Amino acid sequence: MSYHTQLDAAVWAKVQDAFAAALGLEEDEVELDSKLIEDLGAESLDFLDIVYRLERAFDIKIPRGGIESSAQEEAGGTYEVDGILTDEGLSALKQLMPEVPTEEFVDGLRVTEVPELFRVATFYNLVCHLMAQASQEDAG
Amino acid sequence: MLDKQPAGLVGYSPPTFCFVVHALSRLHRGIMGVPSMRMGLIGQWRDGTAMDDVLPVCHVGLGGGIMGAVVGVPMTPTDLLSDQQRAVDHMVEAVALAGPVSAVGLGSLCAVVGGRGEALASRLNVPVTNGGAATAWALLANVRTVLAQRGERRVAIIGSRSPIGLAVAQALAEDGIHVRVDHRRAAKAGDVEACSGPLEAVEGCQVIVGCGPTGGVLPADAVSPGAVVVDVAIPSTVVGRPHGSVVQLAGEAVALPPGWRRGFWGWLYHVLSGYGPSQVFACLIEPLVLAASGRDRPYSLGRALTAADVTEFGQQAEALGFKPRLAQGWTAFPPERLLLDG
Repeated sequence: MSYHTQLDAAVWAKVQDAFAAALGLEEDEVELDSKLIEDLGAESLDFLDIVYRLERAFDIKIPRGGIESSAQEEAGGTYEVDGILTDEGLSALKQLMPEVPTEEFVDGLRVTEVPELFRVATFYNLVCHLMAQASQEDAG
Repeated sequence: MLDKQPAGLVGYSPPTFCFVVHALSRLHRGIMGVPSMRMGLIGQWRDGTAMDDVLPVCHVGLGGGIMGAVVGVPMTPTDLLSDQQRAVDHMVEAVALAGPVSAVGLGSLCAVVGGRGEALASRLNVPVTNGGAATAWALLANVRTVLAQRGERRVAIIGSRSPIGLAVAQALAEDGIHVRVDHRRAAKAGDVEACSGPLEAVEGCQVIVGCGPTGGVLPADAVSPGAVVVDVAIPSTVVGRPHGSVVQLAGEAVALPPGWRRGFWGWLYHVLSGYGPSQVFACLIEPLVLAASGRDRPYSLGRALTAADVTEFGQQAEALGFKPRLAQGWTAFPPERLLLDG
C-alpha cells in the first residue's frame, strides 16, 4: 500500500466526515495521526461503521481484515505463531502502515493488538490505495 | 406479505411494527427457514444471501392492535458484515414482508450494519429505531436496582463510548453516582471520572456496567471479589471466569407483560434467540412501543441516543406493562440475592 505524503484535501474531508459521523465526534477532533482506539475511543463496531461510511463515500469495497490479509501475504505464511506476530509479520505491517511510528511494532505484539496501532491515516491511505487501484482497473 | 393468521395465534391482527433479525449461525439459518418451509435454507443448500431468502419468522405483541412481525434476513454474521450494503438491501426486502407498519426495529447486527440503522431508515417511510433507547432504559433500571441493594454510590462503565454507555453514564451521574468511565472521551458531561481504560476504571468498583456492543475487554482477574457485573455486551464484557463471589447479570432483560402473545413460532423464536421463554431482550420492544405511542421519530438511530428519549421510552414502555428485570440466562435474578450478609 502506498503512503501518500501529499494530502488530497477533498479525500481527507470525506474521510474526516466519515470518522466524525461514525464516532459521534466533531470533524476537528479527527486528525490524521489520531489513534482510533486510544485517542478517538473507537470500539469494534465503530470500525464496521467507519468502513461502511468510507465505502459509501468513495464507492469502494474495503475487504474485511484487508490490512492483515495483505500483511500475511507479504510475510509469506509466517505472519504469526500462536497469535504473536513474527519478525516477518511485524516487518510486513511496518511496510503496510508507514503512518505508524516504527517503535510501536514491538516484539511480542499480538495479532489482537494490531487494531490499537491504527490511525485515521491508516484508513486515509487505504482509501487512496483502493481508489488508485479502481482507477487502474477502469483504465485497463 | 404476512397477511395470514399465524398458527397458534388467536385473534390475529395485522402487524403494526416489525423487528428485523438475522441468523446467528448456519444452524440457526436453517431453523429460521422452518416456519415458512424454506427447504433450501433448512437443507443448507441455500446460504441465505439471495434476496428472495428473506422470510417471516413469527408474530409477537400485546394484542389489541399492538402486534408485530419478526422478519428475517437469514444471513450469518459473517455474511452480513462482509457486505453491509447487501445486508441493508435485504433488510429493506424483509421489512416489506410485514406489510404497512408504523415502526421498524432492528435486532443484533441488523442494528449495526449500514450506519447503525441510518441506511435502512433513509430507504423507508417509517421510523427505524435500533434498540438503543430500550437497552439503555432496561440497563439503567437494573443498575439502579443493584446500586440500591448494595448501597453503592460508585460504578464503572465499560464500553462507555458507545451510545448506550454515554447515556447510562450521564443518567447515573445525574443520580449523584460517582461514575468512572473507561475512556476520556466519555467524560464530556457531568461528574464523570475519566480513566485510561477498563482496568483502571474498575479498580475499587463493586458495580461494573458492561455497555459495549461487544465485550471481551475486561480480564476476569480485574473484577474485585464480590462485585456485581450488569452486562449488555455480547459476548460478555468479562473474559474468563472471575472470582466465585462475583455476580454476573444480564442487563437488558425485560419481563413479559401480561397478555404477551407469540404463538408457537414466537415461543420458538424466544428460545432460540437466547431470550428464553419468559423474557425478552429490550431491543425487541422498542419498535412495539414506538408504534403504540404514535411517535413519528425513532427513539434511537445511528449514534443518536439522548437521555430524554431514554426517559420517554421508559415511560411509554412501563405504561404498556413492560418492566426490566435482572436476569442470569433465562431466569430472573431476585434483587434480594444481592444483599450482602451482615
